Amino acid sequence: MNKLLIILFIGLSVISGRAQDGLIELKGTIKIEVDGLSCPFCAYGLEKNLKKLEGVETIKIDVENAFVLLTIAEGKSVDEATIRENIKDAGFTPRAITKDNDG
Amino acid sequence: MISVNKNYCFGLTLLLLFIALKGHGQGPPIFTDTPIMLGLEGRGIRTFGNIVSKENANVYIQPIVFPYNISTKWQIGALAPFVSIAPDGLDSQSGLGDVRIFTKYQIYQKDGKAKTFRGLIKLTETFPSGNSTEIPSLGTGAYQTTISIVNGYVTTKYGVYGEFGYNIAGNGLPDNFIYNIALGYPLLPQKYPPNQLNLFLELNGNYVFGQIGNTLYLSPGIQYIAGRKLLFESGIQMPLDDSASEGQKTNYILRIGTRILIF
Repeated sequence: MNKLLIILFIGLSVISGRAQDGLIELKGTIKIEVDGLSCPFCAYGLEKNLKKLEGVETIKIDVENAFVLLTIAEGKSVDEATIRENIKDAGFTPRAITKDNDG
Repeated sequence: MISVNKNYCFGLTLLLLFIALKGHGQGPPIFTDTPIMLGLEGRGIRTFGNIVSKENANVYIQPIVFPYNISTKWQIGALAPFVSIAPDGLDSQSGLGDVRIFTKYQIYQKDGKAKTFRGLIKLTETFPSGNSTEIPSLGTGAYQTTISIVNGYVTTKYGVYGEFGYNIAGNGLPDNFIYNIALGYPLLPQKYPPNQLNLFLELNGNYVFGQIGNTLYLSPGIQYIAGRKLLFESGIQMPLDDSASEGQKTNYILRIGTRILIF
């Protein structure tokens, strides 16, 4: 009985830990809505931060429509929480992250 | 006594000029500070030439500004100006002017789709490194501390900026209140990498306490951003109100400058 409880406890801890970390792996072309993106000359840091992510192949920043398109290399994936963190570190606010249907 | 008065006058003139030329660094806009410490505004160097035409002198000031972002919310930096003064009837002088160090900390950020509203506090310390023992003096001869609040609402369609600061001057020079307002308007579609042409209209004011009074400039300007790492800008400050003594008033100040992103 005790063993069963320990296994159950460890299992729940792992599941809740993953959910808290937001470990959602993203692949293909993804669209990230970014708030605060109002000036092209200040987007350099955003591009630079996203370039640091392993697996990111191309970055397209659309200032007028306030989003970023990221293409993830074939066979690679990028963690959503890491993307959000890098956008915040660049001085902007990340919003919805979705699979780009046009990409 | 005459020498002391002349030194005081030149010190005061330089104080007024440095305040008028304060644009430290982080434009756009051209003469007013901005609360956005990103891209060209936080990772580059800036330099500009200021040609100042006064009734009694011609002055050229070339500051170079080195900002450094500790984070996107916290910046430190330094400004070192080369100053050349050619007063009517006196020998001209040139050399290093008063060096400044500054720090900025963002206290507010509200982002929306293609817009942002940000505010920061800025603290500037001016060191009397410019020679102030000869006439004309290259520095004010005074330590100064300025505390400012800088706000900006920037969208892809326009930008509105405000900067308000109180400068505490030592060495018998009067304190002053700085007030700058700027409106920016992009002429080209906003895209990245940037290829921007921006127009600015600014009001740059300075109220000096005591008998000195107020100075207010109307400052139109134009700016071209050529790609990620290079910006060119030019503006002219024309006095709307100048309470300097007769014969010492400013005719205009012309600024031509560049900012280069290096980090």
